[in-house]
Amino acid sequence: AAGAPKPLPSSGPKSLREMPHPLATSSSEEIGPALTPSPDLLLPRSIADKDLGLPNGTPVDTSSPASSSSLLNRLQLDDDLDGETRDLFVTVDDPKKHVCTMETYITYRVTTKTTRAEFDLPEYSVRRRYQDFDWLRNKLEESQPTHLIPPLPEKFVVKGVVDRFSEEFVETRRKALDKFLKRITDHPVLSFNEHFNVFLTAKDLNAYKKQGMALLSKMGESVKYVTGGYKVRSRPLEFAAIGEYLDTFSLKLGTIDRIAQRIIKEQLEYLVELREYGPVYSTWGGLEVELSEPLEGVSACIGNCCTALEELSEDMTEDFLPVLREYILYSESMKNVLKKRDQVQAEYEAKLEAIALKKEDRPKVPTDVEKCQDRVECFNADLKADMERWQNNKRQDFRQLLMGMADKNIQYYEKCLTAWESIIPLLQDKPETK
Amino acid sequence: MEDCLAKKMEITVSEAEKRTGKNAMNIQETYTAYLIETRAVESQSEGQCAPVDSLWRRYSEFELLRNYLSVTYPHIVVPPLPEKRADFVWHKLSADNMDPDFVERRRIGLENFLLRVASHPVLCQDKIFYSFLTQEGGWKDMVNETGFQLKADSRLKALNATFRVKNPDKRFTELKHYSDELQSVISHLLRVRARVADRLYGVYKVHGNYGRVFSEWSAIEKEMGDGLQSAGHHMDVYAASIDDILEEEEHYADLLKEYLFYAEALRAVCRKHELMQYDLEMAAQDLTSKKQQCEELATGTVRTFSLKGVTSKLFGQETAEQREAKIKILEEQIQEGEEQLKSKNLEGRDFVKSAWADIERFKEQKNHDLKEALISYAVLQISMCKKGIQVWTNAKECFSKM
Repeated sequence: AAGAPKPLPSSGPKSLREMPHPLATSSSEEIGPALTPSPDLLLPRSIADKDLGLPNGTPVDTSSPASSSSLLNRLQLDDDLDGETRDLFVTVDDPKKHVCTMETYITYRVTTKTTRAEFDLPEYSVRRRYQDFDWLRNKLEESQPTHLIPPLPEKFVVKGVVDRFSEEFVETRRKALDKFLKRITDHPVLSFNEHFNVFLTAKDLNAYKKQGMALLSKMGESVKYVTGGYKVRSRPLEFAAIGEYLDTFSLKLGTIDRIAQRIIKEQLEYLVELREYGPVYSTWGGLEVELSEPLEGVSACIGNCCTALEELSEDMTEDFLPVLREYILYSESMKNVLKKRDQVQAEYEAKLEAIALKKEDRPKVPTDVEKCQDRVECFNADLKADMERWQNNKRQDFRQLLMGMADKNIQYYEKCLTAWESIIPLLQDKPETK
Repeated sequence: MEDCLAKKMEITVSEAEKRTGKNAMNIQETYTAYLIETRAVESQSEGQCAPVDSLWRRYSEFELLRNYLSVTYPHIVVPPLPEKRADFVWHKLSADNMDPDFVERRRIGLENFLLRVASHPVLCQDKIFYSFLTQEGGWKDMVNETGFQLKADSRLKALNATFRVKNPDKRFTELKHYSDELQSVISHLLRVRARVADRLYGVYKVHGNYGRVFSEWSAIEKEMGDGLQSAGHHMDVYAASIDDILEEEEHYADLLKEYLFYAEALRAVCRKHELMQYDLEMAAQDLTSKKQQCEELATGTVRTFSLKGVTSKLFGQETAEQREAKIKILEEQIQEGEEQLKSKNLEGRDFVKSAWADIERFKEQKNHDLKEALISYAVLQISMCKKGIQVWTNAKECFSKM
């Protein structure tokens, strides 16, 4: 079970996102019918054929199955939280622009590789646009109301005039969509959801969407939960604690978001001044004879620092801020799920109260109340499990995010250091020695 | 350089003190006095230290000294004083003359000025300079007795006046142009540097906010808490580090400022040469016209329009005696003029020779000093980068333990 979808500690400057997915290659090599689809299969041979690297970036010799399976074991040790073995891999990549008469939009390639029985084929490749992801999320919320559904990147571009089709925007969005699907893939319940399956496999998703209502009615089991109209007496301690935690958590994230934005702003203003500063040394160099080269050298150096700074700000804008915002959205949607849970509990409590008041002994009532009790207990159990999973993932995600931020800053300073160190000999050069 | 004072005498401006006193207009004022300490550089091999002499001087006395040197040695690029008022400040620096940081930087600048003068082959031999360092009382009177003020006044007026030289010395014209450009580019550099410092300060300080929020966040976390908390501490360290960095950078800015003012001194030498040249041309012109007048009187021909010509037509010709008298006066004046012209020419040639010698010396000094300054600036940047790498590496380690 290779663990590229889950973040792992990275000792090198490369972030895990840049790592090639163990099964993602440009080659169309298929996991052929020679392999028996079984959830326990670790797929050593197929992985051995693909491009693999250790999390720190060093390429792995995959010629022997032994080495690749030991690699998988290594990755698995850090990764195996639920004791499950991976049998489903999903990637979002290859954005493409489509220009039609009515509109212009972007689609992304969604690649699936799996050994699960629920899938007819071991491999799929479909194209999806943002509204398809949005549809999927809504469907998951509807059909799995007791679970935490990961957030999507924002639908509309909120701040400033951002080009929806710019490379940076599309790439940021792609990463978020990839994260979204990977989080669902990780989830022991959500990953088996029918809508998710269709999303990953259907050639014509629109046709399925239209059938949506018909399909639901065929499913028989009503998954609708009552929302609204009931007031919960009190949240159980553990959920109250979760609620309080989420409130403070999203507040702190909001603050961090503002600080990060402010830093980027200050850096860009610093950059503006630096861009004027460097060339003045060059102008001065033009006036001088003996000092001409040293002054030009300093000017070029400052120019290099400008480039490095620009890269740092871009990286922070594209990689750091979106993930923060994602988690703020995640917190918001989690708070909503908590409220839904409250509603279910409230309904149960109300029904209990009604019985107490009625003092009747009807056989119908207990079953009704029993069902409610079941719902509450299910919801609580699902939510608890999801919260634990979420806490763990959150810890990994933030560890990676903050380490990434530190890394970017280290790289910035290293680039500047190299630039300044390289001109010292130039500055010390005596004209007589030339 | 072997004979210069700097080799024989240790000079420091070691302290600065706030004083109050009555000034020339009998008004109470606050000013800063600087302690100049001098000690003869004897053979210290026996561990014997010569006694330290000291006296107090205020900035205005330094100014007086420099004015005296400028007037007395017009062909020398006289070292400049540190700025009178704080200029090129960015928001954190104070523009207040009494601010301790400003006073401290000025103290260093004044010491540098004295060392520059003491190492100058010509200036260091000046008696007034020596007295400035060693004689507390009566120094001001001594300076005024040299009468340099009279020369100063007339030269100052002339320096500010616009006049055109008919045959300018190309080298001096180029040099003046260079000094103008140098002043302009260094001012620009100092202005932008101040803005850069301001912005950089902002970037570092905002990171301090991470310290606080990480601390608050760590309070609600279990496993992540410690890592966040300690990372936050490093962010505080990062934010605080900019203060020392920028303070050091001020020394670099001060050196650039010195050369900004040096450029002015260089320009002043060129201007003085221009003035001499102009004087020379005026004197030559005056001589030519007198010779012409003499000729006219002698031959009776009026070549150019003159009032004499008109009045003689109106009131009749002069007598022969009158004409003779006039011719005699003119001949005397012509002789005087020719002697003056000769000495002015000599003066001019001497000036050019010694000025160029000092300009060459100055060029070498400038190239050396500015190269050193650029190296120190690069070293400063390298240190800043290394500190940055250190802090972020520490923070990264804390994050990895989350």
